[in-house]
Amino acid sequence: MITFDEVTRRFGERLALDSVSWHMDEGECLVLLGPSGAGKTTVLRLITHEIKPTSGTVLVGTFRSGRLSRSQRALLRRTLGVIYEDFRLLNDRTVFENVALAVRIMGRFATSEVVPRVMYALEEVGLQHKQTAYPNELSGGEKQRAAIARAIVNRPAVILADEPTGALEPGSADEVLALLKRIHLEGAALLLVTTRREVAHALGGRVITIVDGRVRETEAGAGPALAAPIATGLRPVAER
Amino acid sequence: MHLFYFREAWRSLKHHRGLAYTAIVSLTAALTLSGVFLLLAHNVELALRLVGDRREMVVYLRDSVTKEQRDGLVARLLQLYGTEVTYVNKDQAWKELSDQIGDRELLEAVDTNPLPASLRVKLKPELLNYRAMDDAARQVRVFPEVEDVRYGGEWVRRLDELGLGLRRGAMIAGLTVAIAIVFVIYNTIRLTVMARRPQVEIMSRLGATDRFIAAPFVIEAMLQAALAALLALGLVFALERAFEARVVAVSFLPVTWAAAFLGAVVLLSWMAAMLALSRVLRAVGP
Repeated sequence: MITFDEVTRRFGERLALDSVSWHMDEGECLVLLGPSGAGKTTVLRLITHEIKPTSGTVLVGTFRSGRLSRSQRALLRRTLGVIYEDFRLLNDRTVFENVALAVRIMGRFATSEVVPRVMYALEEVGLQHKQTAYPNELSGGEKQRAAIARAIVNRPAVILADEPTGALEPGSADEVLALLKRIHLEGAALLLVTTRREVAHALGGRVITIVDGRVRETEAGAGPALAAPIATGLRPVAER
Repeated sequence: MHLFYFREAWRSLKHHRGLAYTAIVSLTAALTLSGVFLLLAHNVELALRLVGDRREMVVYLRDSVTKEQRDGLVARLLQLYGTEVTYVNKDQAWKELSDQIGDRELLEAVDTNPLPASLRVKLKPELLNYRAMDDAARQVRVFPEVEDVRYGGEWVRRLDELGLGLRRGAMIAGLTVAIAIVFVIYNTIRLTVMARRPQVEIMSRLGATDRFIAAPFVIEAMLQAALAALLALGLVFALERAFEARVVAVSFLPVTWAAAFLGAVVLLSWMAAMLALSRVLRAVGP
């Protein structure tokens, strides 16, 4: 599904990734763990083709790095669902409109299909009652759930989460992790980037540790069936 | 989906009112100037056409020409050059001269009528220019029945030059305004995209194609340009009414000219917006 083969990426003199190789299968849960500046976000930006590798190959599905036109790049991004630490919601649109935008961008659905798809995604993240709210009227956890709804609304094969709990207080972070775990258990591959070991272990997936742009170690995950319950005192969003 | 693009364009216009007002005001100013020039060109052309319609060629006949020969010549002139041929005999020509001069003593000093009979030829529309009239005059002059041909060559040449100068002026003014439109729209779009950079970046990250991102901006530019063109036409109309009330009757632009003006402005705005977006989206999108 996603393969990094001897990937090196430089930003001027700085070496962000140094000959990194790893592979992720369909439906797998993978966590990239490492301190700030280790090169984790560079990995995500390489996957979404925001940047190209200095050397080596990044393969995402059938998309190979370095050969994509702008329209192919857009097509690749439409197959991914991306969640950012800072949510990246449009503040001049309601929660519903933010999620609907992803459906419109997909371009595959008639106008009549937009509303049910968006409502289904909002129900999945427990935000249907906030559909008319604007992002600045939401808490951090709610913003991230809205961002997750936007990422999953088109049912992507892979969800990329860049430090999704980084800007959240612990309670909200637990909720978001539980939500991501549930989405993964429903079949989507999940690639999560974090600086926090407890987040990595809470998801129960394979963990790749990156330090100074190099893969330091790989830990096998507990697997979806054996995955540990998320953190403490958490009730899944859907049950509330 | 198209309704979605229009809604997005409207949203952008509402959110960046200042930018939109500035663009519309600048475009209206430039377009009003060009509209006034267009109005001037239209009215001068009307005047020239009126004068041009009165252009005629006078074919002076030899005294020896018989009625049959004259009829034959009239038929040839009608076939080749004219839409209408009027015969003026020697007496009529003398009377016309007498009426024009009015000095009876001077006229009585002339013993015999020296004026030749003539044929006044109202020329076909395609011959109403200096070059064609000159060619026609030279050809007619060699007919055996013809003594001489006059058509006011110098006057016709000057009239043609005036018309040509006016058309060139209109083209230069049109080109200048076209460049101004492209410049204003190009920069407005650039500034609008920059102002909405976070949105463009997010859309690009979500997998939006350039077309999807660009469409609302293009619609926005076309709406601004259309509004500015309509305002400019309204201002030109108001100017025309005021001028007519105070100075002299002028004719407003025909509907086809106004529609062409509006269409050209919208087309130019589309081109400018596409040009701006093709550059700026590459710089903005991640």
